[in-house]
Amino acid sequence: MRYFLRRALHAVFLLFGVSLLTFLFSALTPGNYFDEMRLNPQISQATVAALRAQYQLDRPLPVRYLHWLNAVAHGELGFSFAYNSPVGPILWVRARNTLLLTITAMLLAWLLALPLGVWSASRLGRAPDRILSGTTATLLVIPELVLALGLLILAVRTHWFPTGGLVSVGFESVSPLQKLQDLASHMVLPVTALVLGTLPMLVRHVRASVAEALQAPFLRAAVGHGIPRRKLLYGYALRAAANPLISLFGFSVGTLLSGSLLVEVVMSWPGVGPLLVEAILARDLFVVIGGVLLSMIFLVGGNLLADALLYWADPRIRTAASAK
Amino acid sequence: MTQRRKLTRWLIVLVFLHGVVAAAGFFAPYDPVEQDRERPYLPPMRIHLIDAYGHFHLRPFFYPLRLRKDSFDQYEEDTASAVPLRFFTRGADYRLLRLVPSRLHLFGATVAARVYLLGSDAYGRDQLSRILYGGQVSLLAGLLGAGVTLLLGALIGMAAGYYGGWRDDLLMRAAELFLALPWLYLLFALRAFLPLTVSPLEAFLLVVVVTGMVGWARPARLVRGVVLSVKELDFVRAARGFGASDLYLLRSHILPETANVLLTQAAILVPQFVLAEMTLSFLGLGVPEPMSSWGNLLASLQQYSVLVSYWWMYLPALAIVPFFLGYLGLASALQQRSSAYKIDGESGWSPT
Amino acid sequence: MRPLLRVENLVKHYAAGRPSPPKNKFAALDGVSLSIRARTTLALVGESGSGKSTLARCIACLEHPSSGSIWFEGVDVAGLHENQQRLLRPQIQLVFQDPASSLNPRWTALEIVSEPFFVQGRFSKQERSDKACAWLDHVGISRKMVSRRADELSGGQKQRLAIARALALEPKLIVLDEALSALDYSVQAQISNLLLELQSSLGLTYLFITHDFAMAAHLADEIAVMDHGRIVESGPAERILRSPGHHATRSLLAATPRVPETPTILVNF
Repeated sequence: MRYFLRRALHAVFLLFGVSLLTFLFSALTPGNYFDEMRLNPQISQATVAALRAQYQLDRPLPVRYLHWLNAVAHGELGFSFAYNSPVGPILWVRARNTLLLTITAMLLAWLLALPLGVWSASRLGRAPDRILSGTTATLLVIPELVLALGLLILAVRTHWFPTGGLVSVGFESVSPLQKLQDLASHMVLPVTALVLGTLPMLVRHVRASVAEALQAPFLRAAVGHGIPRRKLLYGYALRAAANPLISLFGFSVGTLLSGSLLVEVVMSWPGVGPLLVEAILARDLFVVIGGVLLSMIFLVGGNLLADALLYWADPRIRTAASAK
Repeated sequence: MTQRRKLTRWLIVLVFLHGVVAAAGFFAPYDPVEQDRERPYLPPMRIHLIDAYGHFHLRPFFYPLRLRKDSFDQYEEDTASAVPLRFFTRGADYRLLRLVPSRLHLFGATVAARVYLLGSDAYGRDQLSRILYGGQVSLLAGLLGAGVTLLLGALIGMAAGYYGGWRDDLLMRAAELFLALPWLYLLFALRAFLPLTVSPLEAFLLVVVVTGMVGWARPARLVRGVVLSVKELDFVRAARGFGASDLYLLRSHILPETANVLLTQAAILVPQFVLAEMTLSFLGLGVPEPMSSWGNLLASLQQYSVLVSYWWMYLPALAIVPFFLGYLGLASALQQRSSAYKIDGESGWSPT
Repeated sequence: MRPLLRVENLVKHYAAGRPSPPKNKFAALDGVSLSIRARTTLALVGESGSGKSTLARCIACLEHPSSGSIWFEGVDVAGLHENQQRLLRPQIQLVFQDPASSLNPRWTALEIVSEPFFVQGRFSKQERSDKACAWLDHVGISRKMVSRRADELSGGQKQRLAIARALALEPKLIVLDEALSALDYSVQAQISNLLLELQSSLGLTYLFITHDFAMAAHLADEIAVMDHGRIVESGPAERILRSPGHHATRSLLAATPRVPETPTILVNF
């Protein structure tokens, strides 16, 4: 338990660090951000003045940081100029869309990676393993940007899948089943891109861990006991190989919000990614800060989750931790 | 030693690839900013050896493209006028490596008819030339960015590992922070808070510095590990026994041991940083027009019309693939060589 | 006559567990006192973990003792400032046990022996090379081997190299920390004979640290036995060997394998 608390404290420290970094970035921009805003005809002088007062730009840095921290703690992430509304709700909608995509992609990737990796490890060095290794090596060499764009072009030329957006026009007026179909068809491309991007590395990790576990003496003993192959592979070998994979899983969770930025932008999926990019280009400061902060929270949470899972799954860590 | 041979093989591949890009002026038929408003979005031209009448020609040739009747963006070959390709021909002025002025190009056509091997863009600029010149920008950004990161990482890692104590704690906590963050987001965040409209040179430097500052944590940790283990070795103690200063020890004994780690990290980081530049430029946050980089060459793909009709605008994306292959091959060869000596398993390649 | 080296009540604590605040302080040296007369050899015998290496490092000024004093030629070196210590360093040199880690494997023999001259900074390149070659010759490493890398040499050659390096700055005291323990028996014989010869020709003083009584018997004038960070018995070599007093001494003696008479001819590699 103390181990977990220590890791949680660590996570909190990380979050503070991240928030400080983010705040410092925004506060130390060359040229006053609000000066640029003043030049923007869409925003009235009164608004600028009010914002300046609200954000206490004339107070020293630590005071501003605490004030900002306080605001964030209350869920006030600022005001978006492009959307003319508080940042919170906008971010929430986009985050939901992103999570829909990334959770699906992650589940799919893991569901594919585990059997592929185990199968590959069990036939180490032979033809199926080499083909798989070759495929993953090839995929690894192709960066995500290239992959996503390539898929997009494929889709555009074959018209098999819609090439942008969450849902089609007229979504509201169809039956629930059709709604689901529509959503799914829009999801195919980005999910494929995400899966193809993360699958090779995952398969490699699974293969490596399981291959190492298969070498262990206790496994040979199990073979000697006549335990059936499938049980051996999944019940014994995978279990033993689980540690690094569990950590990896936790980290995957951490990247749920940030890992899909590129794919979302390329495929015009209305998630956090495009929001962030638009906000940067439109100089919509608080949206940027809010987006970055939210992703960092996910990341730190993912790390913590990895620690917690590892702690729960591996009794060795529990005993080592309690012995400290 | 087959490891040596593998290493040399990948090095040769990379040197060749970089050489082609470095000598972009020679390999590219045209100047990358030269526009030809009459011929926007030309598809790639085909090189023929056998003409429309079935005759075989020794010298490859191409047919210039003309607009199909009743169409404003469909082209067809004008089989009446075959234009031969000329090799080692004189073309536009350029400076090889920014130093040596020259007019020699690997191939070209006549003044009247231009050969667009990879098609042209909205302003009629030759894509092949733009890809080659763009490679210079992107690769340089990647190399310089990796250089900055490795320098930062090495300095911080050495300071943390050698001096230990609170300095070590502080630096490693900071490294954890940076490692925990997704570098793309950090990159964007950094970029966001810097001025948007800058000159191409400033933008380039910005990209280099920003990417450099983001990735120092992993090299720093690895270098620190090496320093920690070397610091305890007896020959370092012996040198201190002669009265050697800290600086001498770091420079003569410890630094050479980190070379392996730094090289492996370099091979992993350079393609990542090239990709970072491509991503930033693709989104309009990196190198702006008219300077071409692989990233901003892809920017036009964000328009639906381009996606549908002009598929050859995707080709710059493929340009990076052989480089990725080369660098990853080099990295794995280096890792194999170094794992023969030590047990560290942390120099990972992370796609996030 | 004043002894060359006198150690008085040396204590060295290490903090086990968390560094701050130190949880369990572990005393590697728990009040060590000894003295060595010039041109003699004191053998320090003890089991592993008795604190021998810690003592060696403190004497060679590579570590700071927690308390106590080390008098070298009448000067308290433990209390000296870093810069003053640096001036004294050439006088006390250390030969380590494992030549694989005490010599930089990538450097050549010449570079390794030249290093002390380079660090001292007052010799030209030619002078360094000449002096280094002279010392290499002295320890029996032939000219051919001089430009070989350290990892290409045999164990015996490496230790000769280590000794040459230790001799380079003409120290008065050489601390040999288990310097022969990693070598084969026949090589041990050769190297120990080399050490004896160097001692008589150069007037050296040795602090010879070992866990092997047979080696101590061969080389030492006086023997001190160390156990759990303390000197439990000391005195002239023959007396200790003939009638050991402390139980630690007796168990160490009992554990020593009977070594046949060592040859006294020096063999050149």
